[in-house]
Amino acid sequence: MKISVRDVGNAKVVEVDGDVDLGTSPALRRTLFDALPRVARLALNLGAIRYIDSSGIATLIEVLKDSQRQNKEFVLFGLSPAVQEVFRLTHVIRIFRVFATEQEALEAA
Amino acid sequence: MSDLPRRLQLKFAMPSDPRYLPVVRGTIGPLAALIGWDEADCLAITLALDEALANVIRHAYNNRPDGLIELECRECAEGLEIILLDNGNTPDRAKICARKVGCDQAGGLGTHIIKDVMDTVSYEVSPEGNRFVATKKLRRTP
Repeated sequence: MKISVRDVGNAKVVEVDGDVDLGTSPALRRTLFDALPRVARLALNLGAIRYIDSSGIATLIEVLKDSQRQNKEFVLFGLSPAVQEVFRLTHVIRIFRVFATEQEALEAA
Repeated sequence: MSDLPRRLQLKFAMPSDPRYLPVVRGTIGPLAALIGWDEADCLAITLALDEALANVIRHAYNNRPDGLIELECRECAEGLEIILLDNGNTPDRAKICARKVGCDQAGGLGTHIIKDVMDTVSYEVSPEGNRFVATKKLRRTP
């Protein structure tokens, strides 16, 4: 799994490429929790994720809850078909703000 | 020739190290496809097995990477049977619980996925160790 972070105005965009599972989700968790306090909005691109398991989903839920405590925006965009299927199986999609594109994720009120 | 199995049967012995999970995922998906499931079901079955292995790594072996997990995936008359065997801590049945659907709890997701995807799931303590058995029927369309 590869992770990269870039600044876009007051936001940070995190890109993830590869599989998010029990072995790799701790690195994603560290990256997201490190980035969150530094920005008003944190946007996670899930378009290049080939696989995500419950530890990855749990990481996203933890970051979402922390963002709410800090009055920050944590948004997702570009969900790959694999991610969409796991979100469907776990019924968690309704708790996230999900957008099709990076532009929408960064510009949504 | 008569000793050849009539159906595919895969056996793995793997360390309780998450680095090996992609190897198993790369095998179970094609097996499920061969039996007859579509792409979405193959992903779901792969996820269910991956979650069961992750539970063994986390709870039976407390994330120790040097435990032994024996895995058997068997094509059977009605579909697929998955058996996991480990020698780690015995699972606390009271703690094996799926989360509520649609809630924002981070825990219990894996158990929810396993129960949602597979048709039958059982946990037993046998002389060989902790035994997890799950089956899924292939529903053939006429």
